[in-house]
Amino acid sequence: MHKQLKYWTLALLFSLLPLCLQAAELVSKQSFGAENEIVLTFAAAIDKDTAKNTASYKVFEESDPDIILEIKEAVVSQDGLQVSLLFTEPLNMAKAHVVSLRDEDGKELASLLVKKPYIGYLLSILISALLVNNFVFTKYLGLCVFFGTSKRKTTAKGMGVVFTIVMVASAIMSWFFYQFILIPYNLNFLQIVVFIGLVSLTVQAVDTVLRKVNPVLFNSFGVYLVLVIANCVIIAVPLIMASNNYNIIETFMLALGAGGGFLLALYLMSSVRERLDLANIPPTFKGLPIAFIVAGQFAMAFLGFSGLQLF
Amino acid sequence: MQLISRGILSENPIFKLALSMCPAVGISTTVMNGLMLGIAVLFVQVFSSVTISLFKNKIHPRIRIPSYTLTIATWVTVIDLALAAYMPEAYAKMGIFVKLIVAFAIITMRLEMFACKESVKDSFWDGLGMGLGFLVGMMVIGLVRELLGSGTILGYDILGFKPLLFFILPSAGFFVVGLMMAFFNWIEIAYKRAKGLK
Amino acid sequence: MKDILTIIMRLTLSCMLAATVMGVAYLTTIKAKKHNEHVNEQKVRYALLGYSDQKPIPGSMALHSIYRYVVSDAGNQTIGYLLPGKEGFIFVTLDLEGKIVDNKEVKVEESSLAEREERDKIVRGIAGGKDVVFADQTIVVTDNGQRVAYLLDGKFTGFKTFIGVMLALDPQFSLLGLEILEHEEDPGLGAEIEQDYFKNQFKGKTFDTLKGMDVVKEPLPDKYFQALEGNIAEADAAAILNQYLEHDIYALTGATISSRSVNNGVKGIVKKFAYRLNILDAVLAEQKIAVAF
Repeated sequence: MHKQLKYWTLALLFSLLPLCLQAAELVSKQSFGAENEIVLTFAAAIDKDTAKNTASYKVFEESDPDIILEIKEAVVSQDGLQVSLLFTEPLNMAKAHVVSLRDEDGKELASLLVKKPYIGYLLSILISALLVNNFVFTKYLGLCVFFGTSKRKTTAKGMGVVFTIVMVASAIMSWFFYQFILIPYNLNFLQIVVFIGLVSLTVQAVDTVLRKVNPVLFNSFGVYLVLVIANCVIIAVPLIMASNNYNIIETFMLALGAGGGFLLALYLMSSVRERLDLANIPPTFKGLPIAFIVAGQFAMAFLGFSGLQLF
Repeated sequence: MQLISRGILSENPIFKLALSMCPAVGISTTVMNGLMLGIAVLFVQVFSSVTISLFKNKIHPRIRIPSYTLTIATWVTVIDLALAAYMPEAYAKMGIFVKLIVAFAIITMRLEMFACKESVKDSFWDGLGMGLGFLVGMMVIGLVRELLGSGTILGYDILGFKPLLFFILPSAGFFVVGLMMAFFNWIEIAYKRAKGLK
Repeated sequence: MKDILTIIMRLTLSCMLAATVMGVAYLTTIKAKKHNEHVNEQKVRYALLGYSDQKPIPGSMALHSIYRYVVSDAGNQTIGYLLPGKEGFIFVTLDLEGKIVDNKEVKVEESSLAEREERDKIVRGIAGGKDVVFADQTIVVTDNGQRVAYLLDGKFTGFKTFIGVMLALDPQFSLLGLEILEHEEDPGLGAEIEQDYFKNQFKGKTFDTLKGMDVVKEPLPDKYFQALEGNIAEADAAAILNQYLEHDIYALTGATISSRSVNNGVKGIVKKFAYRLNILDAVLAEQKIAVAF
């Protein structure tokens, strides 16, 4: 939260300074291109000779300002609006790079930060929690409740929705607690107690609110609330948030993905199990054993998502 | 003693009661992992049962569940810290699962059904039984997966080659547990049939 | 009403009791935990240098730690090195082009530099309150005062999250050894980077080979595999390993991305280190700064 505020205020201040306004106008867009490329789009056509001269650019990774990356070539587009910087070595795109533009006298005209779009990063957390690292099929958490509530589609949907709501609410509360109480006072070892406590609190709160606000909804979904506490996922998400030190938006994405993934898993499983009820299964396998085997097959299928990198 | 055998066989938490299966599937890649996590769960189960049984008259019925949760969370934190300090390699392999013990339904259920009503001594034995049942279950699954997956037991090369890498992969955990459940069912049905015929 | 009060009181009491139990457990275990970490670190370092419990490190060997910091001051950045001098410590500041900016003597105990938080505070004090960020730590190993090896650690993106490694280099920057400290790769696939037949492929690669090294998706020749795993007699193994000394790294089956990550990560760490150390050595020689290595 603090970091976000800091960045917003800084951005505001910088946009007021005329010098930086000029610099901000110089380059309208900067991004990574191919494996060893950075593409700069200028707001207005620039002098092609300066643009082609690789000495006009100084590029380094943000964390290693003393190591200047070697530019093989600077290719200017026909209209002079785009410059593509090609490097001798492939770029480590996971790290933010700083591109410094200079004119012939060596004076710095602009300093740009090139990194993968943040929204891409956020969405990748979401997709990761939803598919690649699906909490049920890839991380094997929340199984007890999973097998208990995946018998019918309706139960599955109910459980999934309730779970997602509690998940998001408790994750955000856990984030606040973690950032403002646990870290400053060095109370990290109280993580487990605090997180599970917050989950119980959320469940209790949702229970009371739902009872008063929408009794009909409560009648159909309320019974699953108690089961949420016994779910391993509900405490795994805050623990992951703590160990990766996510900020609030990232936590929200993680919680949403976790809840969504659980809902997806439940829905898939219940669809299969409804069909299984009608099938001819040997008595030893009836009930849980066959459910486990089906889950195993789902897990294998979800392995296919491994390595999915859309952003 | 009867309590212990009940915990291991007829009411085995993993195979019969089908509770706390998350680690059974995820961590049981080797016997050592199963053993370590089983010991952790045993510790938490026994200590929680005893603690709740000691305070059973002082716990107000309306805050039962939060009290259980608090007790379990405390003991889980203790064992988590202890393992991290004294057995770092084993702890690193188990990762997040030690902390997740707090969410195991089995422990809460046991406290609810047993420890809050029975004496301290009985709760102790019951906790031990359940914990041992979990431990045995984890080790058996671990044995199957480790033997068939990497050809070793407790790190000692038995087969000299890796039969089916698949078994180490977590999805096999589902298969193995499912098959073992079926196996337990089969034994039970056969036993009942034998008794019925008699 | 009285009911709720009793509930609240009992709950608070139990919370406090629980907190005390956990607090005690925490305090008792924190020392053991730090000690274990330290011992583990030492073990890995000695193993990389070729020493173990059976072959203890000789008394003439000493390990000197160099801590690198990035000091930021109103948009200007400089690199600060905290080095062990002949007696006590020295803080050398270089600008981004590699020219010396400042050189201060630091009176501090070696033990207080062991913990990162304390060390950061000390460096911040030396830098006059400017913003300091710890970059990395290098260990220079000397035997009777002569440099014999460098130990570096580094972290880079793997197939899944991060891979943490520790490397040992000789004074010419050839790889003496590679150890994987932490990773979250898939067991049986990416996790095989921990195995000898992958790690030992990096052993002995010279700096020139390393600069252009790549990963090939070919099956590992059986003889090479046996030599890497240590299953053949030393003399024969040495001959085989020599044969593949300038060869690229053979990728792990089903884990090309993990293999590439380790390869690129190691390359990056060594290249950056070589570049920086050459600059630092030049400055130390030019300014005639006496250091313990």
